[in-house]
Amino acid sequence: MKPYLMLPYKYKKIGWIIFIPATLFSIMLLLSGFGDFEINTKVFAIYSQELMGETQWMKMVQTNISNTIAGLGFIIGALLIAFSREQKEDEFIAQLRLSSLQWAVLLNYVLLLLSFLLIYGMGFLNVMLYNMFTVIILFIVRFNYVLYRHTKSISDEK
Amino acid sequence: MSFIATPSQSPMKNSIKVERAIKGITQEELARLVSVSRQTINAMELNKYVPSTVLALKIARVFEKPLEQIFSLEEND
Repeated sequence: MKPYLMLPYKYKKIGWIIFIPATLFSIMLLLSGFGDFEINTKVFAIYSQELMGETQWMKMVQTNISNTIAGLGFIIGALLIAFSREQKEDEFIAQLRLSSLQWAVLLNYVLLLLSFLLIYGMGFLNVMLYNMFTVIILFIVRFNYVLYRHTKSISDEK
Repeated sequence: MSFIATPSQSPMKNSIKVERAIKGITQEELARLVSVSRQTINAMELNKYVPSTVLALKIARVFEKPLEQIFSLEEND
């Protein structure tokens, strides 16, 4: 059974190589309040609206792209990790993968539901910021955890 | 919360472990013979995974026995 929409195993390593520095960079941006590490350059924008600035459509705009770089690196890295095959991908691993995905989507929306109930005002902007990335993170953590548990139960078995 | 944990009560039991002992092969070797991961063989032996028909047939072929002799339904299913 060939799993579809999956990349070869070697892309997992490439994913981690992109993901780790992008995550560190994102954390640095968050801690510095997005002020430091400005990388200003001209980029093409379909839509752009600076705070208190003018709205622009389909134009080259001068802007800080440090968020862009952090977000792109994070998402590309996480996608490569999440959508690369295991070394020995088979039907059981595929089932673990699917159930982990289901688990991650469910937990993500439970957390979002709680955030809607308990977080108000500008604080909710943070929720939206983190929620862009939580599904894939929850999936990667859950899938690797169940896989680890099954691998560990092999070493218990003689 | 059966959709979160792997179901503990499998609807099917199997004698893969016994057959493996009779044939004198390890989980690793059986995994290679039917081209799956070792985790899969282990999960089946622990009744934590019900194999697809294809995999069940491949396993029966390795042990040269009819399917029903290796896999059977749990009584209360």
